[in-house]
Amino acid sequence: MGMDEQEALIGRVTRCSTRGFVGAVHIPKPEVPTFGDFCLAEAQEGRSRVIGVIYDISIQDDELARQMAIAKDPTREQLADTQRARLVPVEYAALAVGYHKDGAYHYTLPPQPPLTMATIHAMSAQEVRDFTERLDFLPLILGAPQIPVDDLLAAALRTAAATRPEEVRRPYLVRAGRACARLLGRDLPRLENLIHSLQP
Amino acid sequence: MSETPELDDVFGTKPQEAPLGLVVEGSLSSGLTVKLDPRFAMEKLAVGRYVVIRGQQTGRRFFGIITDVALGATNPDLARRPPQPEDRFAAEVYRGGVAYGIMHVSPMLMLDEEEEEPRPVKTIPSHFSPVHEATPADVERVFGAEDATHFHVGAPLDMEHVQVNLDLARFVERSSGIFGKSGTGKSFITRTLLAGIIKAGLASALIFDMHNDYGWTVRDEGGREYKGLRQLFPDGRVSVVTLDEETSRARNSKYDRVLRIGYQEIEPEDVEMLAALLGLSDVQTGALYYLRRQLGASWIAKLLELEEAEEELRELVESGRIVAGTLGAIQRKFEFFRRMGFLVPGKGDDVVDDIFSRLNMGVSVVLEFGTYGNTLAAYILVANYLTRRIHQRYVNQKNRAAGGKADEPKPLVIVIEEAHKFLDPQVAGHTIFGAIARELRKYNVTLLIVDQRPSGIDDEVMSQIGTRVTCLLDNEADIRAVFSGVSGAATLREVLARLDTRQQALILGHAVPMPVVVRTRDYDKEFYAALGVVSEEDLGRKAQEGIDTLY
Repeated sequence: MGMDEQEALIGRVTRCSTRGFVGAVHIPKPEVPTFGDFCLAEAQEGRSRVIGVIYDISIQDDELARQMAIAKDPTREQLADTQRARLVPVEYAALAVGYHKDGAYHYTLPPQPPLTMATIHAMSAQEVRDFTERLDFLPLILGAPQIPVDDLLAAALRTAAATRPEEVRRPYLVRAGRACARLLGRDLPRLENLIHSLQP
Repeated sequence: MSETPELDDVFGTKPQEAPLGLVVEGSLSSGLTVKLDPRFAMEKLAVGRYVVIRGQQTGRRFFGIITDVALGATNPDLARRPPQPEDRFAAEVYRGGVAYGIMHVSPMLMLDEEEEEPRPVKTIPSHFSPVHEATPADVERVFGAEDATHFHVGAPLDMEHVQVNLDLARFVERSSGIFGKSGTGKSFITRTLLAGIIKAGLASALIFDMHNDYGWTVRDEGGREYKGLRQLFPDGRVSVVTLDEETSRARNSKYDRVLRIGYQEIEPEDVEMLAALLGLSDVQTGALYYLRRQLGASWIAKLLELEEAEEELRELVESGRIVAGTLGAIQRKFEFFRRMGFLVPGKGDDVVDDIFSRLNMGVSVVLEFGTYGNTLAAYILVANYLTRRIHQRYVNQKNRAAGGKADEPKPLVIVIEEAHKFLDPQVAGHTIFGAIARELRKYNVTLLIVDQRPSGIDDEVMSQIGTRVTCLLDNEADIRAVFSGVSGAATLREVLARLDTRQQALILGHAVPMPVVVRTRDYDKEFYAALGVVSEEDLGRKAQEGIDTLY
């Protein structure tokens, strides 16, 4: 495991299905994980890696946090201790949008989900660029139930565009917008909104 | 393309570029709808251009012509809910996604992998067959090479170096038409084609030259001078016969003889076509035949009182066979003949035989009307008079040839301008021109009609027109007329209505394998040279060179 990968480790799987997985991390770094990020979780004993797009980040409360929130004049140490030293993890849910196996990306649901405690890594810029070169993952996002699909789509595509050199970002977003238009052509108000949020 | 190297030999390899689009729907009768690839700028398309469609099931190639370009959208609401004008990103996304370009393509020819010659289409390519722009090699393949009977008339749109070669043998085989509004270059195209026919020696032409456009020097609207046919073929292959010696002399044009028609030669049939122009009623027209029978060959001279006939005329009236009013009206209307200087008392000369023998020897005859060209009645009278008699001689000779007693007469193309005056539905049924158009090439005589109002021509005659060369027309009825009797040609109407006003023509029919929009060939020194004409300066220079080498 190289230095970069070490740094990119963003937690471990706590819960999962072929549709996606939930990861937990103690204290998140400011830049990872964020909404719309691409991440990888090992599955099938390392033979495949499930690719997820993070669509929800949550922190559960506990008794102490509830008490601390209403405490009078808590000290900075007390606040920091409650924020950082508690044993409640930051949880994030990722939607499976494909997997990597045998040196290639596949744009369907993975054959098997990762196991509990599988490591989760953030995808490197290069990996994101390679994976998002094809836009075949869009239907998996669009078809996901009960999540803010349009916001996620826009965030994921902006993330994908950001991994590219400046001069090809706009063409990439146009291409992605067209792919969305193919899928959402029937619902113009929704498409309009989505394209508006894709604006470079 | 690598799987069919033989086709590449035929067509030349295709540029490895993306197709313009894919066939998405259509039919053989109404043409194909092609969804354009968003990467391709539809603004670069033009109706009238060629495309090649590669069939996906057989590898068969289809040649088609772009007949219309349109905008489409997967969602009809898009037209009511377009992106904001300043939102260029959204516009770019929509364009090529939910909004796309469409072109309509009329399939014309198909070519199987193992075949040499393209054939007319009998089916269409399957769904999603890719559509490519035709390459010059594709187009050359269709129109063949220039040879003795294939005449270079121009180049397809945007393909300056490709020749469109008209099959002249087929062109003269059936009657043909050259149509277009005035000022679109009809007479230049006609002159070009006639030069080709004369050079190829496929037929003689008898040209009724209303506006002095064909024989000797012609000026265009800009005042530039162009050579007439007589100058292009100074070796005697073209004769000029003038009706108006004075004008011909004033124009400094060379002519071979003067046309004189004797009053005695004129028959009621010759006058009948003038009925509408002279204002002869049906009764009066009917009376002509009676008068001819009663008064004999010099009936016109007698009616014009050039010969003593007072007694005879009075007897006719008194016998009750003709009303005095009718006779008076005919006499009044016949005053027209007096103004026609080419009509002379007596029997006239041998002009019909002379013209016939010239034509039969392969010499084309330009009949220059001079100032009489401004008088439509004179034009119709002479065209009708000569055509009836020359056609009769062709019929006789053809019949004798069938009996082995004479040679086949040399094929003849009769060129008439303002053709709708000869071929309108009222008269086409019983005039010589209607008959020639209908009998096809039975007697080796065909028409080349030059007209700006094809809608005025009888439908039945139009349907017999083999090759149609059409410059810009914008009248709806005229456009419809040009396409009458041509199956599937209606899809070309947009192509026709969008031609440039000069030097562009749509050619369709018998003499071309598929309809083609051409930029017609320039009528210039290069053209003269291609016909083998040596200009006077060149002659002078050659002579000078000769002198220089001698001394």
